[in-house]
Amino acid sequence: MQTDNLKHNLTLIQGVTLQDIAYSTKGYSLDVQAKAESVLQVVQEIDKAGFFIEAITGVDWLGEKAALKKEADDKAKAAAAAEAAEGEQQPSLPANESPVLQEDEMEIVYDFNHYTSFCRLTVRVRVPRSNPRLPTISSIYPGADWHERETHDFFGIKFIGHPNLIPLLLPEDSDFHPLLKDFKA
Amino acid sequence: MSAFLERQTDETFVLNLGPQHPATHGVLRVKLLMDGEYILAAEPVLGYIHRMHEKMGENRTWIQYLPNTPRLDYLHALAYNQIYVNAVERAAGIEVPERAEYIRVITVELNRVSSHLVWFGAFVMDLGGFTPLLYAFDDREHILDLLEELTGSRLTYCYFRFGGVSCDIDDNFITGTKIFIKRMRERLKMYRALVTGNIILIKRIKDNGPISEEMCRKYGATGPVARGSNINFDVRKHEPYSVYPEFDFDVPVYSECDSMARYMVRMDEIEQSLRIIEQALEKLPDGPFLLPKAPKVVKPPKGDYYQAVEAARGSLGMRIVSDGTNNCYRLKWRSPTFSNLSLFGEACQGMLLPDALALMGSLDLVIPEIDR
Amino acid sequence: MGTQDIQPPIVQFAQLDKLLALGRANSLWPMTFGIACCAIEMMATGAARFDLARFGAEVFRPSPRHCDVMIVCGTISNKLKPVIQTLYDQMPEPKWVIAMGNCAISGGPFVFEGQYGIVEGADKLFPVDVYIPGCPPRPEALIEGIIELEQKLTNWRRWPVVEVE
Repeated sequence: MQTDNLKHNLTLIQGVTLQDIAYSTKGYSLDVQAKAESVLQVVQEIDKAGFFIEAITGVDWLGEKAALKKEADDKAKAAAAAEAAEGEQQPSLPANESPVLQEDEMEIVYDFNHYTSFCRLTVRVRVPRSNPRLPTISSIYPGADWHERETHDFFGIKFIGHPNLIPLLLPEDSDFHPLLKDFKA
Repeated sequence: MSAFLERQTDETFVLNLGPQHPATHGVLRVKLLMDGEYILAAEPVLGYIHRMHEKMGENRTWIQYLPNTPRLDYLHALAYNQIYVNAVERAAGIEVPERAEYIRVITVELNRVSSHLVWFGAFVMDLGGFTPLLYAFDDREHILDLLEELTGSRLTYCYFRFGGVSCDIDDNFITGTKIFIKRMRERLKMYRALVTGNIILIKRIKDNGPISEEMCRKYGATGPVARGSNINFDVRKHEPYSVYPEFDFDVPVYSECDSMARYMVRMDEIEQSLRIIEQALEKLPDGPFLLPKAPKVVKPPKGDYYQAVEAARGSLGMRIVSDGTNNCYRLKWRSPTFSNLSLFGEACQGMLLPDALALMGSLDLVIPEIDR
Repeated sequence: MGTQDIQPPIVQFAQLDKLLALGRANSLWPMTFGIACCAIEMMATGAARFDLARFGAEVFRPSPRHCDVMIVCGTISNKLKPVIQTLYDQMPEPKWVIAMGNCAISGGPFVFEGQYGIVEGADKLFPVDVYIPGCPPRPEALIEGIIELEQKLTNWRRWPVVEVE
């Protein structure tokens, strides 16, 4: 069927991971993780399969890497303490060499839906927070024009090749991005 | 603006359809490049009523955000209540008693009828006919009386809660609704004869503003705009939620793709909503209207969730990202009017200005929903 | 009424002023400046059940040059600020402003710490004559607001106060 064909085509693109999701738990059926370089190819396949664009938005994951690292450190410490409590051996030094804290990321989420088949698919792309850039899809879906302008307004994400990346919802001369987690009015 | 500057010649001028124009749509500004009375290019400018709904979602707890939801689209406020409540209930695994689901459907469909009545009055007023507005608002007052007795507000209802609704319906409401349905069917006959059959209206909106199926798909248009272009897509049938599978109703689809088709879709939808309300009143079960231990502190598990609902203007969507705490991490509203209006720039090229306004009226815009 | 720069006439006729005030009060022409939710209640007030025409105020003019009262119904965002100030300046004297709804009075439900988008109340931009609280206020409340404004113009209230039974 259409969606099987699409799933097959998407797996051929480099850097893409697919995951089937139970609709009743999350509200969408297919989760596609893609890299910024392969966004255009992914969206072209989706367009060929006849999907319509529902929404584009961003999520700011400030502090996610620090929280993950803390979780990993805590686990390692707990594991080492458990090891030391069990045996009488010298507790081996936990292997946390404190790697360099990775940079936080922003996530751009695309939602596509189909008028006749039952399939909502979500495409996620992660970009580094200090330099969020990815290509625009407004050449494939003209409706994405406004969605990308809004995402740029709120998060400062640059869409390369966008014909008109000026503020949509904020005043024309604004230079702030309000939905960032470290935004202070 | 660069699109305008490239195309400007000595013969063209820029007209500003400013943020203040007769109070039907709200504060929308459209920059028009005109050649005489023909539009060469149009660019809507938004943001004049940006009220930071998505930022407020992050600042408030899940239950504190409920009063914000009706203020997005105040004409079909209960659908916005419904989508938020459904999304969080699905995420947190909160069950809703059956009676509450039926009450939700009855009130949402009543609200849908009142939203279509406002659209009907405002659309015909835009074209120059003032009288249907007064009749439509009169019908709407009857619905508002019923809903006011039930919920306490006339316009921005905050009636749903996590786990049900905030108070029960009584026999007064049921009798009043049945009387209203009978009355509305008579009025629809009158509207069909006096307005839909009116030669001036037909000449204004027939073959006006063609929007093809492919254009709908590329811009993501849904709701009556898509159903007037031969696309059979209604979230209540496509992704059934609440107790809609129990009801027998049709989805009106017209294939002419013009403003007349969109008009007829909405008029037929009023009749279908009345059918749903009748069936719901008949099948209304007994039972609690709210969970006995309705949660006040809700903590949906980590992850992101999407919910879709059929609002009067199209497929409304909501994406919530939860981090497991009492506050939302990120809340995104997928507004149907946002996608519907984005095709206006392409659809109105080459049209006369009054025809473009008829097209804009047939798209049924509510600007606070676009600007959030 | 605060920007009144009208020079008072050299010869003043009290009865004529009273007549002019009565005329102005009974035929206030509001401007169609519906911004958000309160606009629908304003439309309902002008419609058949609540009928603002009884008080002379049903002639809603789109152009500010023809109006004498601006009913601000809705939230004023930062992007709308210059627009609404231009509209206020374009209205000819004497002019009045009614702030309808909580958003026009003080920003309403959209005020939170760190808000970046709205102006907290119409009176931050220009002087307001009547405040009508509510979210949205009932049409009867808007009618009461118009009657208050008429009382402000003529110094006597021509309509009875509603008695609660």
